[in-house]
Amino acid sequence: MNLRRLLPVLAGVALVAATFSVRALRAAPQGHADDEAQLEAEKSLGSPSAPIKLIVYDDYECPACGAFYEQTLRPMIDTYVAEGKVYLVHRDFPLPPPIHQFSRQAARWVNAAARIGKFEAVERALFDNQMAWSEFGSENPKGIMKPFVQSALTPAEFKRVERIMQGCESNDHDELKGCAVDPEIQRNIAAGELIPIRQTPTFQIYYKGQPYPPEAGMVPWTLLKQFFDQILSQK
Amino acid sequence: MTADARWTLGRVLLLVGRLALAAIFFAAAYGKLSPLTVKQWTLSSLKITPASLNLSMTFFAMQLSSYQMLPDWAVNPIAHALPWIELALGILLLAGIGLRYVAAAATLLLALFWAVIIRSYALHLGINCGCFGPNEKLTGWRVVEDGGFFALGLAVTVGAFIHGRRQRTSVSALP
Repeated sequence: MNLRRLLPVLAGVALVAATFSVRALRAAPQGHADDEAQLEAEKSLGSPSAPIKLIVYDDYECPACGAFYEQTLRPMIDTYVAEGKVYLVHRDFPLPPPIHQFSRQAARWVNAAARIGKFEAVERALFDNQMAWSEFGSENPKGIMKPFVQSALTPAEFKRVERIMQGCESNDHDELKGCAVDPEIQRNIAAGELIPIRQTPTFQIYYKGQPYPPEAGMVPWTLLKQFFDQILSQK
Repeated sequence: MTADARWTLGRVLLLVGRLALAAIFFAAAYGKLSPLTVKQWTLSSLKITPASLNLSMTFFAMQLSSYQMLPDWAVNPIAHALPWIELALGILLLAGIGLRYVAAAATLLLALFWAVIIRSYALHLGINCGCFGPNEKLTGWRVVEDGGFFALGLAVTVGAFIHGRRQRTSVSALP
């Protein structure tokens, strides 16, 4: 076949291939962004249109995370989140054994509850009773968190959460194949590793999409509020 | 080496050490006072404004608080004073004014920083150091580095006192 005749055909094929490649490349980040938005919506409090976004990487078994939740996040949820100033996003970063034996299992319960829109209630129940389940967990590793999750939900809600938790019964810290919520936890961990996180809690503040440097450790509400007030007073 | 050569070498080393120490304090002060949200490193992006200054010092207060060593009421005043103290020490070290006392004060401050860093590292706090700005992890390397800064401060202080004493001796020996 004449090469001159072939050239337009080859050019056409190349053009079509290039168009599909560009579309595929564009589609991939969009899908990823949708996943991220879905994840954020499930484990967040407040309005996504709030000027400040606070992303917190937590481990439910870490005492500093418990203190940060009770002393800093709770007053913030009651005030700045309720007033539409702050959008609080939770991300899981369960530290592995031997540091924390049950952190992954706690994250699984919270993620399962998040799927039925009960993230806040179960997160609060687990942090409020952190001492109880983390200290005596070894006596009943599979069911130690169950009563606390149950107490935060209606019987019907708890049944739904239990169904989601099928396949997540093992206390294994690694990702379980049959556990529906483990991929979500893995995505949270992967996002945390990009920062990278060395300690929990670690949090990052965004103001109108502009990120501030991540900060780690227990910070009292008075200081965080002071920082928020200064950001909000900016023109 | 003659006494004169040793004297000159000592003066040069003291000058280099003093300038290095000043640079460390300038960098530490700038890290705490510089704008927090720098997207691109251009000259204009590094500009410090009153608003950015307030925000940076408040952010530093959060970092200071994460060391869990200070009572809540002390965090803000210390966080707002420390960068300026570091800046003042840097200027005085650069100018060489009252070198013996300034170097001694700088060394005391560096010793305090080192002790705090060692404690936090030993407790596995895993927090950000906040030494030269935000998002700076407190690692083993930071412990070594701060030890080096303290050693430098100590050397400059000792050098400044020796130099000062010799200068006084040579002046009083004049006919």
